[in-house]
Amino acid sequence: MSKSDWNSPEAVKRLAKRHAAERRFKAIGLGAIVLSLAFLALLLFIMLRNGLGGLDWTFLSGSDSTDASVAGVWGAAKGSLLTMLVTLLISFPMGVLAAIYLEEFAPRKRWIEWVEVSINNLAAVPSIIFGLLGLAVFINTLNMPRSSPLVGGLTLALMTMPVIVISGRNAIKAVPPSIREAAYGIGASKVQTTFHHVLPLALPGILTGTIIGMARALGETAPLLMIGMRAFIATPPDSLTAPSSVLPMQIFLWSDEIDKAFVQNTSAAIIVLLVFLLAMNGIAIYLRNKFEVRW
Amino acid sequence: MILTGVLLAVLGLGLVGWFAARARARLLYKGRGSMHSMPTYHGWHMALWILVPALLAWGVWQAIMPGLVNGAVFADPAAATLPTDPMTLGAVMSEAYNLAADPSAAAFNPEAQAMVEPIRAAQTRFGLIGAALVLVVAIAGGGYGFTRIRPDFRARTQVERAVLAVLLIASLMAILTTFGIVASLLFEAGLFFKDVSPIAFLTGTHWSPASTSGTDISDNFGAVPLFWGTIYIGAIIAMIVAIPLGLMSAIYLTQYAAPAARKWLKPMLEILAGIPTVVYGYFAALTVAPLIRDFAAGIGMENPSTESALAAGLVMGVMIIPFVSSMADDALAAVPRAMSDGSLALGSTRSETIKKVLLPAALPGIVAGVMLAISRAIGETMIVVMAAGAAARLSANPFDTMTTVTYQIVQMLTGDQEFNSPKTLSAFALGLVLFVVTLILNIVALRVVKRFREAYE
Repeated sequence: MSKSDWNSPEAVKRLAKRHAAERRFKAIGLGAIVLSLAFLALLLFIMLRNGLGGLDWTFLSGSDSTDASVAGVWGAAKGSLLTMLVTLLISFPMGVLAAIYLEEFAPRKRWIEWVEVSINNLAAVPSIIFGLLGLAVFINTLNMPRSSPLVGGLTLALMTMPVIVISGRNAIKAVPPSIREAAYGIGASKVQTTFHHVLPLALPGILTGTIIGMARALGETAPLLMIGMRAFIATPPDSLTAPSSVLPMQIFLWSDEIDKAFVQNTSAAIIVLLVFLLAMNGIAIYLRNKFEVRW
Repeated sequence: MILTGVLLAVLGLGLVGWFAARARARLLYKGRGSMHSMPTYHGWHMALWILVPALLAWGVWQAIMPGLVNGAVFADPAAATLPTDPMTLGAVMSEAYNLAADPSAAAFNPEAQAMVEPIRAAQTRFGLIGAALVLVVAIAGGGYGFTRIRPDFRARTQVERAVLAVLLIASLMAILTTFGIVASLLFEAGLFFKDVSPIAFLTGTHWSPASTSGTDISDNFGAVPLFWGTIYIGAIIAMIVAIPLGLMSAIYLTQYAAPAARKWLKPMLEILAGIPTVVYGYFAALTVAPLIRDFAAGIGMENPSTESALAAGLVMGVMIIPFVSSMADDALAAVPRAMSDGSLALGSTRSETIKKVLLPAALPGIVAGVMLAISRAIGETMIVVMAAGAAARLSANPFDTMTTVTYQIVQMLTGDQEFNSPKTLSAFALGLVLFVVTLILNIVALRVVKRFREAYE
């Protein structure tokens, strides 16, 4: 082929067409991201516009009420706090210990494969199924008190545990074998190596995963609907077995109110919830950046 | 109350034992190599011998004590006046137990008031017996542990064995949870299928669980409209939104965006995944649904409903975007660099390379990601509860209200009716279907991803 072929009108035209297609494709890609982010911005904007006016001390310190002007979010926030406490106390130790066992000690046997398969599947089971489990086991079989942070926390702990196990395993896997070999070399036993050397190095990664799992549990509503945490609760819960509400449930209950005044309350409660979630995710990102070691 | 105090005492004993054993072991230390285990391990060994048997004894006593107390109370002369009818007897006794636990409560029933003293006496007596038993077990265990402290005793091996047992129990929790889910769903769904035939449930097209009319109750539990609504909202409308947007976002982020832009855009996109579903649901009901209703009225629909499949599906699709995007991201990253480099070297543009080389090569991974996204969308609850509506109907009109499996589960279980009616139990049957379908989707998708990774390694 001679050089002039590339400069012939047809070839130039074809090239221009291909380059135009290239630019179009790139623009579509950018457009997809911009559209998604625009949706996010719209959502946040509408919640801020509707809710910012309702964020005052009465709202932050009050509990649910039939009167929108005195209804507040503290009762539900305290319920969320107690529920998250139960979830953390159960799922964190269980998740970390299970991750350690599966990553460091488990024999390559058939039943270990079953454990792994069930953990991976539990992480993808719809949350409402955990609510059905909580209802059938904790309330109908073990007769625990309905609507209580204890049952809510246990249910969410079962849901959060697989997330912690998976992130914990990844964090432990990322610790290089040379650390273990060095510990063995100076006479540490396997348990000592794991708990004195591998675990502290993996902890930032595990904590990051735990916080992300907890943030997910904090925003979860469906399983708690199943165990009856949708009652009208006008006082903050004072124990783990007292009937209580949680933040997302409060949002759901207020969104059902016919009184238009509750629109402001609902949006304000959403702002409170999103601030909590953003703070948790921020801490997770900070931990990851500050303590994560790239080997 | 006594038993709670005893628990603290046992923990205290364990602590004392830990220090005592460590101190004793230190005395035995006669220079390098003279002992098998470090003193701390002797401490832990001792503490375990105090705590584990004592806690076991405590648990056993906790389980059998109510029976013993009950026996003692019924043997009391005051029990002679109790009603014989089991129903009233149960009510009186449970009130009496509440009164005994909470002195400030007022007695409603004089018979219950009479039982309070015998109950308190029996509870104190058996509480003290239990406390003594637990303490004896703790001290006996501790005594045995203490005698084992010798230079050649392998305390570390023993303690590590206990640690391993704890680790094993923790990892069995996952299997236990899976088993719990399967067992409870199967059990409750089994009760449901005693009344309603499974075939009618899976193939019937009429869903009105509240109505009691009709000759056969099975006719009211045809779940096909729910399955259709779930598929239409979660697997069709939501995916029409999420697949193009998610896939194109992933392509832009991995192929075109500068590293600095990617560093900012990707976390921002992931915020979408972190927003709670109840917030999406509220947004769908408050903002999106009225817009869609007005649009439907604008194109000439009569009486469009505020709740529509389209509103729920659209918002659900947006929620899924980051999920599809990150799965597509992984799939594109798994394609070997040499393939796209080869295509670029032959003179094709970037978009031609993506369309003709990268996407076909990454297709299995993308398909698996879409399957996982569908499994997440059909299990999504709050958006459909708040925006999709309750009418079970087979319709292809996106402006109609439609209901889903998850919506009906919530609907069946949040009303106030007795637990064992077929209406309530149907929630568990629906849950079972949902669980099985998501399980299959997940297993197939994970297998595809695994194959796909292996193909390029």
